[in-house]
Amino acid sequence: MIFLEFDFLRYALIIGLMIGVVAPVAGVFVVVRKTPMIADAMSHTALTGIAFHLWLASYLVWLSEWNPLYTGILFTFIVSFLIEYLRRRFQAFQELSIPVVMASAIGLGVVFISLADGFNNDLFNYLFGSILTVNAADAVVIGIISAVSLLLFLLFYKELLFLAFDEEQAAVNGIPVQRVNLLFAGITAVIVASSISILGVLLVSALITLPAAAALRVASTFKSMFLYAVVFGETAVLAGFFASYYYDLSSGGTIAVVSFLIWTIIVLAEKVAGQRRQRPWKEAKWTDKANQ
Amino acid sequence: MFDINFVERSIIAAVLIGLTAPLIGSFLVVRRSSLIADSLAHVTLTGVTAGVLAGNLQAFWDINPLYTGFLFAFAGSLIIERVRHTYGGFQELAAPILMAAAVGLSAVFMSISADGVTEWYGYLFGSVVSVQMEDLWFIGLMTIAALGLLAAFGRELMFLSFDEEMAAAAGIPVKVFNVLLAVLLAIVISASMQVVGVLLAGALITLPAAAAMQWASGFKRMLLIAVIIGEASVAAGVTGSILFGIASGGGTVVTAAFILFATLLLRTWINWKRNRRLKYERHQGA
Repeated sequence: MIFLEFDFLRYALIIGLMIGVVAPVAGVFVVVRKTPMIADAMSHTALTGIAFHLWLASYLVWLSEWNPLYTGILFTFIVSFLIEYLRRRFQAFQELSIPVVMASAIGLGVVFISLADGFNNDLFNYLFGSILTVNAADAVVIGIISAVSLLLFLLFYKELLFLAFDEEQAAVNGIPVQRVNLLFAGITAVIVASSISILGVLLVSALITLPAAAALRVASTFKSMFLYAVVFGETAVLAGFFASYYYDLSSGGTIAVVSFLIWTIIVLAEKVAGQRRQRPWKEAKWTDKANQ
Repeated sequence: MFDINFVERSIIAAVLIGLTAPLIGSFLVVRRSSLIADSLAHVTLTGVTAGVLAGNLQAFWDINPLYTGFLFAFAGSLIIERVRHTYGGFQELAAPILMAAAVGLSAVFMSISADGVTEWYGYLFGSVVSVQMEDLWFIGLMTIAALGLLAAFGRELMFLSFDEEMAAAAGIPVKVFNVLLAVLLAIVISASMQVVGVLLAGALITLPAAAAMQWASGFKRMLLIAVIIGEASVAAGVTGSILFGIASGGGTVVTAAFILFATLLLRTWINWKRNRRLKYERHQGA
């Protein structure tokens, strides 16, 4: 374990391991809610925030001392509200709200980057992640964010679960649907933004969606889904970390590819085994759909 | 005859893309599969990075990476079509899974390749001013293919997009035309890569159609409005790129997004006015 002598590698590993827990956990909710693209929309918005920060920092010098990621977090947070608004505005074409937000976000981000003259190596690290760019302060901030998010997930577990499966029924049962939705969007936004340093804007959603999608296929209860998702997520993070250190591959890229391999292996294994276990929530969802 | 400068090349490329992207986008939006555009665009990126990497590793490999991009997009579109049918309950997972795998693989290819970051930025965010003559040929060819297919099968595709079950009942070979639509999408995306970039190709496909949907009373009119919005957006993008050095994809998509949001606000205002008038008239009548 000689590489752990370098400070930045230690921080990168710590951050990676923390993200490997919270991102797949958020992913389980995201996947069961059937809004997997929301993570993409949020991470792309973080790019807008980062770009905006870089542009502003070329005028306001004091800003350049701050990590642009914080502006990214702010932007994702705001946009999570915008997505909820658009979902209601488009009604008949709800699924449009996410591509629309995503598209506008990158477009605006690219304009800011152009204005800041920022098409350089730093931007590349934001896009695809790098284990070389983190420091102790990032590790502390991401640690706090992870702890708070996990705590909130635990506290509101029942509400989130209920809402994920059946929004209308949850509303009937007196759960403040809108507030819980906003809370969830807020937590996801913060988790997405804090994963960017290691994974990169374009690959955050991989660690959110893929482990959860794989877990969905093997888990027999909802709780075990979290466990599987975290195990898959951590495996991918560790693989990405070592590939990045020893073979100089992109850390975010390797994490995404390994997550995808895990998912593929599970799908194939399921096909070979030829038997699908009963997954109560999935069945319930299907019969719901059939009844409509 | 073909001695045209970079400004003319970029304008021609932009006009062609501003035409085809919103057209195919309108079909996707009414078919409710606008997310597919984004995932396919990312698969195209994998193809391009694979092409560039092959060029790095093998001296004899001298193929424009746009073609490998198209090949990958084509394969990706077929995979998506398959997954859409086999997954049933969780089919909306197919797009993000493919997208994540595609970007991940692209990132790995990029980190292996010796090329510097600036080359990738052109593919990611579009750089219309660097369109070469051979790229223009590629774009032209793809545009002709797309328009030809749309002209020949537009009616069937429209029927299919609005109501797949009805189309099947009416005897349209749904599977074939779904694949055709996916192929069309692959064509348009790989052609639009240099104008708007991989990350923004989905935007130029979706945004004008989404805005047009708010105004149009019929599908044909929707196509027309979408194309007008698309052309206006690429015009702004090219202008910004040539005059101010803004990445062409950014300017294009911000314009399209601005038109969409202005549309939404205007529609909300019009609806509010109408509701108030109706209320007033009802009040007068009573």
